[in-house]
Amino acid sequence: MNKILHYRWTPWILLALAAAFPFVAGAMEANYLVRVGGVIGLFMLLGLGLNFTLGYAGLFDLGFIAFYAIGAYTTAIAMRAGVPGAVALILSVIVSLAIRALLGLTILRLRGDYLAVVTMGFGEIARLTINNLDDLTNGPKGMQIAPWRPLSFLSADPNIQYYLMILAAVFVSCVASRRLEDSRVGRAWIAIREDEIAARLSGIPVREYKLLAFTLSAAFAGLAGGLFAQWEQFVTPESFVFWESILVVSIVVLGGMGSIAGVLVGALVLVGFPPIMQWTMSADWINYRYLFFGLILVLVTLFRPQGILPSSRREAELTS
Amino acid sequence: MTTKKHETGKVLLEVKDLAQHFGGLKAVDQVNLVIHEGEIVSVIGPNGAGKTTFFNVLTGVYPGSRGEILFQGSEIRGLNSHEIVHRGVARTFQNIRLFANMTSLENVMVGRHSRTSQFLLGPLLRTQAFKAEEKDVEHQAKELLEFVGLKSLGNELAKNLPYGAQRKLEIARALASEPKLLILDEPTAGMNPTESIDLVTLVRKVRDRGVTVLLIEHQMRVVMDISDRVFVFDYGVKIAEGKPKEVVANARVIEAYLGKEGA
Repeated sequence: MNKILHYRWTPWILLALAAAFPFVAGAMEANYLVRVGGVIGLFMLLGLGLNFTLGYAGLFDLGFIAFYAIGAYTTAIAMRAGVPGAVALILSVIVSLAIRALLGLTILRLRGDYLAVVTMGFGEIARLTINNLDDLTNGPKGMQIAPWRPLSFLSADPNIQYYLMILAAVFVSCVASRRLEDSRVGRAWIAIREDEIAARLSGIPVREYKLLAFTLSAAFAGLAGGLFAQWEQFVTPESFVFWESILVVSIVVLGGMGSIAGVLVGALVLVGFPPIMQWTMSADWINYRYLFFGLILVLVTLFRPQGILPSSRREAELTS
Repeated sequence: MTTKKHETGKVLLEVKDLAQHFGGLKAVDQVNLVIHEGEIVSVIGPNGAGKTTFFNVLTGVYPGSRGEILFQGSEIRGLNSHEIVHRGVARTFQNIRLFANMTSLENVMVGRHSRTSQFLLGPLLRTQAFKAEEKDVEHQAKELLEFVGLKSLGNELAKNLPYGAQRKLEIARALASEPKLLILDEPTAGMNPTESIDLVTLVRKVRDRGVTVLLIEHQMRVVMDISDRVFVFDYGVKIAEGKPKEVVANARVIEAYLGKEGA
């Protein structure tokens, strides 16, 4: 398994397969699966984002979905004001980063359970604020956005267009994660996760590096939120409930904390399973999706507590 | 093996009237001492004498309540630990604190943090400067692993190393920050006599690299063997200092260890 994962062409083959998938599915009249694929991709982005906070720096965050919401609403508000779609996405990333940095500055002195509780609180506050800030967000009624279809030359189907855009975003995010992980910055994060005091006394400015990991997480969530808003052409506070935060944490933990491949598999399993169940079996089965969700979590915890695809450390050439 | 005679002239560390109080408890009080470049200095004293607390104040884990710590002439008391590392003071811990799920090599590479600079853009764009620095970091980390005798274990996760090797890895990680002063908190704790001798040899090698060494040590054989000078702590106060032979003959030291009857 490890050999396959580390084979140099594996990422490219997977990318090619994933890119070909919507066209095959389209030809087989399984457009529904393309939508599912897009949603899985959005949660891969969220998982990759949270992986910086939870996987690398080891900080628990139970309100991460707030930044998905901030990204979605930033794009929605910007596009209603006439800002072009691409610029709106950039704005989503910037606004998410800025709010996340401010949040981090105020709460990162907390650790462990305390941090988890406060971030959970922030997630709820963000949702309630959006719900009640009628002038800006149109409250619970949600906001409609005009279509933005930059990939019309590839396919007429907006689902396929957004599937491909999300796929590209996931790929770039994986590359960025991989490169940061395998650098001085990534080593500093992992050192902090492993032993904060030893990290500090090895010369790492711990507070700054925690803030950095915490903040960078939001870039991915903001981008995912923006893409989600453009794809749906509609945003509402109901999309960003506490359950979604739990789902993202589960994706990272189930896949393997700090493991990029793990996050991808985690999202594939946890987000992909219910709709595929519904598609392959009768519609009634969807009522049991939480049962299966729980079952998967229990099985993984029992048999693979380090996650489905735990992160493995890079091996160096020692004979030089 | 006799110690080579070293230039011990310039003052490296000067501690003046240092105190660390926790409420009414004077864990460290009125400590004055000087350490010269090239020395190996031991701190001894009964359990609870404030030795580790003293080390913690030196390395910025505790802020200290009063006094000055002059390292190469400039004040470091109250600085953040990572800044103190940057100034050239590195340490190990009484209870080994490695990055358990990183490889030995990576542990040492982390130690290079304060001597390297590549930040977000370099790694993300894989610039030439980034690649050059990475290569350099890896090279130096390997060299340090070899120096402490762990070269073949570079790809092992730190948690899987045998106990003695973990102690040595901590020293390699500390050395990676190019310290001028290396502080070792009970480096031979839990070691058998052979391992202890091995470690003493390593500490001498470290000194021969030009690093001054300050250590807490309980095994008197090691202290007598390795130290140029010894400081004795009791109840947070430095009660004696001198050459190892002088110190063990000192009445106050014997009293601290054995009680008044012993003297």
